Formats: sequence, C-alpha cells, structure tokens
Amino acid sequence: MIELRQASLVYKDQGKDLYACRHINLTVRPGEFLGILGPSGSGKSSLLYLMSGLKSPTSGEVLYKGQNIAGLAEPERARLRLVDFGIVFQYPYLIGYLSALENVLVGSPGVGTRERAQELLLDLGIGHKSHRLPHELSGGERQRVCVARALLGGRSVIFADEPTASLDHTNGLAVVDLLVRHRGEGALVIVTHDPSMLTQANRVIHISDGEVVNEETSPQIAPTGLHRETIGP
Amino acid sequence: MRRILTFSTYLVRNGGKSLPLIGVIVLAVLLIVGIVALMNSIPYSIRTIYKHSKNYTGLVPRSNASVDFAMRKEIRDGAPVPIEPILVIRGSQAQVKSIVGGWPFVVLAMRQDDMRRYAKRLNITKIEGRYPKVGEAEALISEPVARNLKLKIGDPLLKPDNADAYSMFPVKIVGIAQTDYWTMMMPYEYHEKYHFPPYDSALVFAKNPADQDKLDRWIHEKFRGANVRVFAYFLLEEETNGMFRILYQILNVVIFTLVAVITLMMAMLINIYQSQRIQEFGLLQALGYTRRDLIRRVLGESIAVVLVGWILGVAAAQGMLQLVKSRLMDPNAFALDVWDRSALLYTIPVPVMIFLAAVGAIWSRFRTFDPVSVVERRLA
Repeated sequence: MIELRQASLVYKDQGKDLYACRHINLTVRPGEFLGILGPSGSGKSSLLYLMSGLKSPTSGEVLYKGQNIAGLAEPERARLRLVDFGIVFQYPYLIGYLSALENVLVGSPGVGTRERAQELLLDLGIGHKSHRLPHELSGGERQRVCVARALLGGRSVIFADEPTASLDHTNGLAVVDLLVRHRGEGALVIVTHDPSMLTQANRVIHISDGEVVNEETSPQIAPTGLHRETIGP
Repeated sequence: MRRILTFSTYLVRNGGKSLPLIGVIVLAVLLIVGIVALMNSIPYSIRTIYKHSKNYTGLVPRSNASVDFAMRKEIRDGAPVPIEPILVIRGSQAQVKSIVGGWPFVVLAMRQDDMRRYAKRLNITKIEGRYPKVGEAEALISEPVARNLKLKIGDPLLKPDNADAYSMFPVKIVGIAQTDYWTMMMPYEYHEKYHFPPYDSALVFAKNPADQDKLDRWIHEKFRGANVRVFAYFLLEEETNGMFRILYQILNVVIFTLVAVITLMMAMLINIYQSQRIQEFGLLQALGYTRRDLIRRVLGESIAVVLVGWILGVAAAQGMLQLVKSRLMDPNAFALDVWDRSALLYTIPVPVMIFLAAVGAIWSRFRTFDPVSVVERRLA
C-alpha cells in the first residue's frame, strides 16, 4: 500500500547534511498495524512525514498504491491526506473556535457525515461533550477528538505520531486501543518511543539515527486489526 | 473549507477580533466622510447661497457711474439668445452666515414691477407678508435667509448701527418668500434716496433660462476690459474652484496620510491575528487543506471584514451627516450634502488599501509556510 524505496530525508545544518531518514526501505501493508519505535531524535517522526506526504524525500521514492507521492502536485498530495490518510499528531491540536463535533468533521470535509462523527465521538466516550469547545475538554478528551477526526471517513491509512505523548500511560493505552478498534479496514502506523503502546502491533520496526535497525513481527494481532482471540486460534 | 469552515465562521465566532478590525474601518470611513463632506459644504454653500445668480447676468459699473444706456443697447442688439427687458437696479450690501463666518450678500433694490418679475424668474409663488412699498424702508427676504439670520417679519434687515448691513433707517422685513433661493429685495426709490454711492446696475435675463449660461459667457466676453464688472454663475464656479484648489490638494495629503496610517495599523492587526492562527493554518494544511484553500479562506475573511466595515462606515457616516444636517446645519440654513458622492469616493482607498495590506500579509505568511513546523511545535 505504502512503499518506501531508498527514501532519505536530509536537512541542511550550517552547510552540512543531516540525515533525518537514511535510505529507508519499508512497506506498509493494507490493514496492518505497524509500530515505529525509536528514541527521541531518531527520525521516526520524519519517517511518518515522508509516508504521509507531509514531507517529500530528498532522494528515493515514497509510493502510495504504486504512485510516487513526491511526484504529485501539492493539491494532490494534500488530497491524499484529506481523503485517504488520517493523521493523529503528538499534540492534540484542535481549532479553538469549533466544537468537538465540528473539529471531527473538519478533517474530512464532504466525506464524513455529522451523524457518523457523532457516533465516533460516542464510541470514544465523549459523545455528550460533542458541543464543547476545545478549551472545555481535558487533554485526553482532546486527543480522542483528534482520533475521531483521523478515523472519520474510512481512511486507508491512519498515522499517529506519538499520540500518547501528552497523556498519562493509562489514557495513552486507551487512545491506542481506540485507534486499533475503530480503524476498520485501514492500516495503522504508530510512531512512539514507548514499546508498551505497540503490544497490539503486527510489526514493529526500530529506528535509530534515521535508519531501520531492526524489525519484529508480532503474532498477536491479525492483519485486519482484529484481536486474534476474537477470530479464534 | 466547505460548510464548516466558511470564511464567516472565524469572523462570527471571534467577534473580539473581527469587531475591532471592522470598527477601525468604520471609524476611518466615518472620519473621512465627515472631513470631506464638511469641507465640501463650503463650496456647496457658496453655490447654494449665490444660486440666484444662475438666473441672470449682473452688470455693475466700475469707473463709470452707471451701466449706461449704450451698453444696455449693445446687449439688446447683440445678445446671442432672446432676452427679457433689462432690469435696472441698485444694490446694498448685507451679510449672511456660513460655517466659516459671514459672507457678503447683495440686497437688490428694485422698482415694484421689477421685484415681481424677478420673483417670477425665481419661481416665487408664495410670500408670507407682502412686497415692500414704493420708497419705504422695507425689505423682502427669502425663507433660507430668514432662517440663516434668524429674522422674522418686523425685524430690521439693515440698520444704522450695523456696519455690515447698513442703512440710514431700519429697513424692516415685510415679506418672506417661500423659495430655496437666497434673496433680499428692497425698494429702488428708498435706496436712491438714502444709500451711497448712487449708481445703477443691470440684470439681464435670457428669455429661456436654459440659455442663461450662453448669454453670461457672451456678455463676459463682450465687456472684457470695459468699465463694467460682470457677475455670472459660471464665473462664480470658476472662482470657487480656483479658491478651493489648494485646499483640496491639502485635503488629499491629509486623506492619504490618514489612509496610510489606518492601513499600517490594520496590516499590523491582521499580521498579529494571523500569527495567532498559525496553529490553525498548520493543522489544516497538515490535515490536507491546500495552501490555496487557506489563502482563499483568509482572503474571503479579509474581503468580508473590509466590505462590512466599509458598508457600516458609510451607513454610520450617512447617519452622522443626517444628524449634523438636521441639528446644526438646517436650523441655520447651512448647506450640507449628506449624499456627497465625492466624500464617499474619498473612502474607497480605505478598503482597497487594507485589502492589499491583508493580501501582502497573507502572501508573506504562506509563501514559505511549513505545516510540519507547526505540528512539531516549532512555530506554535
């Protein structure tokens, strides 16, 4: 579904090349939960920006459904994020003058319906607060709104960049669980430095200094995103 | 942007920010319309007060004691348009009030029949009181003059103790003519007997009022350099325009400065508000809104603010001018055009400049804008 071929992202720092991502080869398969694990500054967020089209690779290719994302014009890349990808950022960014429900809808204009957005908020446990403005919500509630925003519209891939960073451990696990349970058919890519958030992942890749240094495959979760226990042994 | 993020969403839900912007534009428009309309009211007053001169060409002798018979004959014989019999009159000086002080005004001293002919020319059909009697110290004035000088029937128009409106005896008002024209009349015979210097002037009327301007210009050319001064409406226009040319140039500089100050202030405010919305712009772009979407939305907001501000400003200015006219100007018969087009035209640079400043601010904001810097909290 998403394929990185020798993808690198280089920043210039006083004339020197700084590799945020170095010659990365990686495939995100449909429906899988991929964890990207690494310490702070290892380049995992940059990798997510490459995959989601927020950044273009300095060299190499990023393909989505066989199409090179970097070759697309800005409006087409933006459309991918608006329609095909859902993104949850590290900080629960919401638009301050829109209600929780409107903040969910703003993520998929013309695609997600008001009723579906309300259902999602109900499923995420904040349906009764859908009329509230962001400053009337707690940090955990705001992040749930962000999750609902990323989920609305049935995305092919959900990206989450340290979605639990601003939450306590329990709330963090709850948010990951919500993403896993509500992503439907979509693939889920979570970037984190906390391995405990990736216990349900199909695969976990380890990043260090912008390079993939290790890959683990977990048998616990089926590629559809459903718990193996639910499907049966 | 569709539906939820229309350009009015931000403005309506952030009244604390959009209202000050609109308020500045309203005040700017109000200020400009006020200054220009009041300024324009001066030449407008001149044209209103001396509008009666549209109806005739006046000839006043200079070194000769009177506009003599030969001159009148020359006009009768050579006029390019049919004319009425020439009125021989005398004039006495009085004053009317304007917002910039007293202005001279002539009391026309006429014979009985001439008064009526002149009144007919001014379309005066209704008179409160009566015409002055032959040889009496009496005057007829028009309604705007009465309002302006706060005079009523029985009050003296000219007095022995009034240097600006002098007569040896009190010349009492016996009639007030209902007309928009400003005019003052008194008996020729009284003037002949008690006023100095004793010289005759003439009023020449085109038979068809539409031909008066043509006649004015012909007489002006005909007697250029002669011992007679010609008074005509087109000369009044030329004199007024010349008199105010420099004043209007100064006004342009003042308005330009005002617009520049307001534009700078608004550009600063717009910049501040946009800086406060960096997180919103970054988030939306990261979510998949294109730069064009965002620019279109912010431009839409700017147009809405500018248009609403300008329209409210124009409405407020109209209200203010109506109030000024009814409370201050009308009671004194001062002229003020509340629908002054040029005053409105002077306000056009306000929305245009502010919009351009907004475009500049938006362009510089989005030119190198990277949403990742926001979601990574490098800019937020």
